[in-house]
Order: sequence, then structure tokens, then C-alpha cells
Amino acid sequence: MRAYTPKDDVQAKSYYTDRYYVAPQVPKQEVETDEVFAADLAALKAKFEVKESFIQVGQMVVYINANDIYGVLEFLRDELTYTQLSEMSAIDWLAKDNTFEIFYQMLSMTKRKRLRIKFFINKGEAVDSVESLFRCADWSEREMFDMFGIEANNHPFMKRILLPYDWQGNPLLKTYPLEGDEFAAWYEVDKIYGKEARDVIGPEIRDTARVDRYDSERFARLGFEVPKGTEITGNEEPNKQDYQEEGGVFLVKKFTKDASKIIDDPQR
Amino acid sequence: MAQHKVNYTQDGGLPVALTSIDKIVNWGRSNSIWALTYGLACCGIEMMASGASRFDFDRYGTIFRASPRQADVMIVAGTLTKKHAEFIKRLYDQMTEPRWVISMGSCANTGGMFNTYATVQGCDRVIPVDLYLPGCAPRPETLQYGVMLLQKKIRANKAGNAQKPKRLM
Amino acid sequence: MAQVKNRLTPFFENITFDREDNELILNFGPQHPSAHGQLRLMLHLQQEQIVKAHPDVGYLHRGMEKMAENMIYNEFMPTTDRMDYIASSSNNYGFALAVEKLIDVEVPRRAKVIRMMLLEINRLMSHLFWLATTALDIGAMTVFLYAFREREYLMDIIEGYCGARLTHAAIRIGGVPLDIQDSFITQLRTFLDKLPANIKDYEDLLDTNRIWLMRMEEVGTISTEMALSWGCTGPMLRASGVQWDIRKEEPYELYDEIEFNVPYSDKGDNFARYRVYMEEMRETAKILYQTIDMYEETVKNGQTELMAHAPKYISAPKLDIMTQNYSLMQHFVLVTQGMRPPVGEVYIATESPKGELGFFINSQGGPYPYRLKLRAPSFWHTGILTDLLPGHYIPDVVSIIGTTNIVFGEVDR
Repeated sequence: MRAYTPKDDVQAKSYYTDRYYVAPQVPKQEVETDEVFAADLAALKAKFEVKESFIQVGQMVVYINANDIYGVLEFLRDELTYTQLSEMSAIDWLAKDNTFEIFYQMLSMTKRKRLRIKFFINKGEAVDSVESLFRCADWSEREMFDMFGIEANNHPFMKRILLPYDWQGNPLLKTYPLEGDEFAAWYEVDKIYGKEARDVIGPEIRDTARVDRYDSERFARLGFEVPKGTEITGNEEPNKQDYQEEGGVFLVKKFTKDASKIIDDPQR
Repeated sequence: MAQHKVNYTQDGGLPVALTSIDKIVNWGRSNSIWALTYGLACCGIEMMASGASRFDFDRYGTIFRASPRQADVMIVAGTLTKKHAEFIKRLYDQMTEPRWVISMGSCANTGGMFNTYATVQGCDRVIPVDLYLPGCAPRPETLQYGVMLLQKKIRANKAGNAQKPKRLM
Repeated sequence: MAQVKNRLTPFFENITFDREDNELILNFGPQHPSAHGQLRLMLHLQQEQIVKAHPDVGYLHRGMEKMAENMIYNEFMPTTDRMDYIASSSNNYGFALAVEKLIDVEVPRRAKVIRMMLLEINRLMSHLFWLATTALDIGAMTVFLYAFREREYLMDIIEGYCGARLTHAAIRIGGVPLDIQDSFITQLRTFLDKLPANIKDYEDLLDTNRIWLMRMEEVGTISTEMALSWGCTGPMLRASGVQWDIRKEEPYELYDEIEFNVPYSDKGDNFARYRVYMEEMRETAKILYQTIDMYEETVKNGQTELMAHAPKYISAPKLDIMTQNYSLMQHFVLVTQGMRPPVGEVYIATESPKGELGFFINSQGGPYPYRLKLRAPSFWHTGILTDLLPGHYIPDVVSIIGTTNIVFGEVDR
């Protein structure tokens, strides 16, 4: 019987985990341990609902409501000097509880602090675009749409960015295999030559461990070439490859290895 | 005026040479392989390095051209992605015959380390390739050797004949 | 030979040329010699002036983030090489540092010094490459040849260290694999001693060159607000009047022990960026001199450790693996199954030659990262072209793309 593989997460999995293995946690600190973060969090809490907050690896992580995101980022930018949105994207938790986790990585240059705003949305929901606050979100949200299929409300140009417009599927979902689906496998053949060329060109060779017994005939083995079709025994005479033919090349000076000069130290 | 001693009877010194059409045409073709600047990814940097000061491709008459219509050889240097695949076909069709293709680096040969949804597994799925250069990225010396082998291949052809249709499909 | 039949339609069949507003759409790329890779720009033109620019990226999208989710941590290291392939070690370093913060190990001092040397050599290589290609785009062939000559010397040094010219993979999680070779210091010294004269050569060729000045000055001006709003970092931000360098502000490795300046300009145009790059090369040379001294100090103090000691995550030194049973078993598990970092998240930014290179890793305690987001500076430096290009003329496009110093392995990932 074939082993069951879950279809909702087709990414590589560890093939062996000890039954009693309990993964350790990256330590989380209370926000109160850092003065700057504590003040920022207090200011944030006064205006918005904060679900959870802690400091991990020197950066504050704040969970908020999905609807507040525009207001929170505006408040952070204008009041708390977090003037740069370094990065934003999503994490796919569909297999676990049908949600996406969206994170916004912020940087304050005057305070030299970084914090991360996070919230969860359900599958099929959209996020509010922060493109009018930070122009860089224009491309980040398009990338998120491209990779996860999460749309952003009020975005001026909600189209794919990294993959072609006629692509199907969202590659960073856990349900999408690394090597692509049927559509991805034939994308370039279908587009250039048409579906009828599939049989002629043949499927992609994705198996990295594949050994083709004809490879040794098809590909020249440098210095030991034999004519095509010859059986390869492994004891071939070395076939000295010269760049120029035996009788010399018309109007071109004959190159000899012995006459060439080898420079030891190019920085001389 | 300085007097240069020219030995007209030695090879290369004779202002008049007797030869066949084949040889003279192939001499011209093989020593002026103009390459299309087709740097797609990392290998493109090594391709630039081979064109630059140390490796100096001008010695072989290999000058990088920006337009496919002026180029004889397309050096596919780098990863060919699915999004880009149609353009390589367009550019290949725009090149004048006779034309050759060097596939430079693992990504262009087989997809290389990028065994993913977005990468074409070898540019020979889209255009016919004459020469595969291994390496990730191949050193400029590898590209040099490849160009020399291509010169040899060109010299082996009959110049008068039209280029044999290359099989892709 | 008859052309092989294909289904591709002529490219501009959908564009009408007799539009009433006299607007022409110019397609630039995706294969353009001065686009520094595979950038495609759709430019809407009024006469020669650009009214709207639409950069189209993704022609080098290779699915690195997806690959990361399917690879153990050490396996992903060579893939990071292919991001910013002009300066590979800086990517290796960014990833290694992020994982080290996640598993909380401290790298030995000697490894730190070697890492800093590699990083700064990479910065020099990147800046030299930037100068060469930008000058070539503007039309200065000589600078291209000169700068590549110097870059080749640096590549020789790197090659002596790790065996590769371009894709180094020279940094491991937890340290560096090797000590530097004997000739490293002498070769680097020889190079650095010549460097100021070389930089002066480039400046003599360019600084007062009328063509260069006309193409650079007052072209492509980025205001501070625009740079911040677009998430610009690195020289792009510093040329726009913000003196922000992560090496200085949030020092990693031993950058807090090193004296260097952060050059910046408040002009924000192409010329300012050019000046920032040139000054940064000088500063980098300064840093390299200091790292050489630091290295010699570690030799004197007998600090020979190169990899951190954390048997749970990092293999023991080769000698231990060969002689001790437990180290061998540990090594076997780490290679076949991979290290399992703790559950948690980390975002670490480092100053790569292009700007802020960030790695966001979400680990769920397994040997594969659950989510890895690469924050590549060039992505936003390409995005800013949307707002930057309108108002400029066609020839300016080339010089603006040149000075943004974008690399498409990084933009598209």
C-alpha cells in the first residue's frame, strides 16, 4: 500500500523525528524589559487593541486586529518615528487553522529599533493596503498576492509581479509542490509551441538522481571522446584535444602550449 | 621609417594567399563570432569578465553585440525562467543564419540547482543548443574553451551549404 | 532554414500608434544590455520625455523562498550565493547570521575577523563592478576595463580562499570552514596599497568629464521622503541625505571595534550616488587594513577556533569527527537530517553592498524553515523607478538604472 501523504502540506518533511522530541523555544522577553519598546507599546495600546506582545531576538512583536493595520502603521510612522517598512509578507497556516499570518517589519532610524506588526486573516479575506503610507508596500503587496493569492484592498494595481500574468496557482502556498504543478511543467512549451508539441518535446526531467545509460554516449568525456555509437569500455585511449586542427588553421598562428608563458602572480 | 623584416614565404606573412572558398569563408566566420549579450544571471557576470581586461575576448574576434540581428552566437548565460522563455525564442528567431547557441552554466543546461516551478529545465527545451558548458558558474576559461571548440566546429562545416536545420521538435 | 513554427504573436500588435494624445509606448527589455539583467520597463513617452514608467520584474524569479522551505538550513547556503551574485559572501553571511541568532550561538573571534574580511572584499568587488557597468552604460569603456582589472585581483584572493570566483559559499552557519591561506594577507596588502591610486585614476577619468557630469548631475534626484517611503537602503538612502549604515547603527560582528566613516550626501542625484560609492570604497579599504591588524592579533593570541561550539546544531571540527565517535554520530545526524532550530522567528538585517539585506526565518522546530522571506534591497530600488523615471528623458533611464545598482538575482529571487 502506498504511504499516505497529506495533500494540504506537500513540502519536504523530516523523515524521522524522535517520539519524545520536544522542540525548544526561542526565548521571549516581556516588553517591559526594554524602555523604548515599553513606551511605544503603551502609546499603541492607548489607541488600538493589542492582542499579544513580546520581544524576541531584540525585536518587539505586536499582534493586532486585521482591521486596524492602516491606522497602526500610520500611527507608528507619524507618532512613533517608525518611518520605514522594511518588509511585509505572509505565512501560510492553512493546513493548521485555515488562516494566513501577515507580518509587517518596521524600522525606526532615530530609535534604532525594529518591530514586527502581525495579524491573522482567514482564507479568502483581503488585507487593507498600506500603499498610500509606504510606497514600497505597492510591490510587497503585489508579491504577496502573487505568492499567496491574498488581495489588498485599495491597491492601485493588484496584479502578479514575479510570475507572468497568465500563471495559475500561488507558489508559496503549502499545497503547491516545489517542482510545480501540471500547468507549470508545460508552461513554456504550451506558450511557444502549443499543446500539440508536448509529445515531441517530452516531459521535464526533474529527478536529480536520474542516470541515463545513454549519457556516456551523448556527452563528450573531455579528453576521451569516441565516435557516437562506439561501445564504451572505460579503457579508451586518451584523445588529445587540440583547439586547432593538425595541419594548422588558415591565416591563424599556430598555438603551442610549450611556447606560451604562464604567469604565476597576476598582481605582479 | 622603420624597416620590418617580413618573411613573405612563411605562414601569415604572405599578402597573397591561395585557398578554397570554404576555407576563407570559415576563416571569416570562425574568427568573428559576434556574441549576443545575453547575460541572464550569475553566468552573465562571468561572461562580462571574459569580455573584460584579463580574458579579453576581442582576441578571438568575439565582440558582444546588443542586437540579435548583428549576432552569430547566442551565449545563454544564466537561468532561463518560464517567464523569460518566450523571449529567448523570439531573440533566437531574430538572429541571422548561420547561428549557434552556447548554453553556459548548469542552469541553462539542465535547470541546475533550481529544480523549481519557475525554472525551465534546460534551455534546449526551447531552442537548439550547440555547446553545453558545465559549471556553476563556469569560469571565463571554460567559456574561452567553448568559443575555441565552436570555432573548430565552424571550420569543420562546408561553408557553401546552408546550415543544417537543427532539430528541436 | 525555415523557422520552426511557433505560436508567438508579434509583440506590439496591441499597440495603436495613432493615438490622439501622441503617446508612444516603448518597451525596454527584458533583455537590454544596460538593464543590468532582466529588467523590463514599459515607458509611456511624450516625445522623448517619460510620462509613465512601469517596471516589470520577475524574469529571473527562480523560487528561492520555496526552495528554502524544502531544504535543510545548511543546504540552502549555496542558494543564497545566487541572490546577489556580485557579492555572494554578503548573502551567505546574512543567512548565517539569521540562523545563528535563531539558535543563539556565538562565533569565535577569529572567524568573525575572517568573515569581516570576506564581507569587505565583497563590498569592494560589488562597488568596482557597479562602477564598471555604470561607466560602460554611460559610454566610458576605459573605466570598465580598469575596474574589471582590479576586480579580477580581488577574485583571485577570494578564489584562493574558497575555490570559487563568483559563488563563494565561504561562510558557514557558526563560523567559517577554513583559515585564510598564507598568501591572503600579503596579496590583500598589495592590492590595498595600490587601491587609492586606482580610485584616483577612475576619478580623474570621470569627475571632470563633461559627458559624465551631464549624464549624472541633477538627474534622477531622489528626495529623502521618497527614499524612506520606498524602503531604500544602503548607498541609495545615504545619497539622499540619511546617514544610515547598519554596520554603524546596529553593529554586528566586530564593526563596533572598527573606525570608519559613513559617507553620505544630501543631493540625491546620480552624481551623489556615484560619489557615495567612491567614498565607500575608500572606507572599505580602511576597514580592511584594520581587519588585517585584528587578524594578526588573533594569531598572536592563539585564538585558532573557527567554528562555534554547539554540538546540537553545528558539526564538530574535522579532527574530532575523525577521532571521536560521538562527534561522528552528531555529524551524521546533522548532515542527513539537518539541524533543528528552536521554535521562533527572527528577522536580521545586514548591510550588504546594495543595502539592507534581511532574512526573516520562521522556524517550527523542524529541520526545514517553515517560512523564509528574503528582504533584498534591490527589489525596492527597482520599484522606485516607477516614481523616479517620469519627467526624465530616455537617455537618463540608462544612467538612473545604472546608479540604482540593481541585481536581478536579488530582485526576483
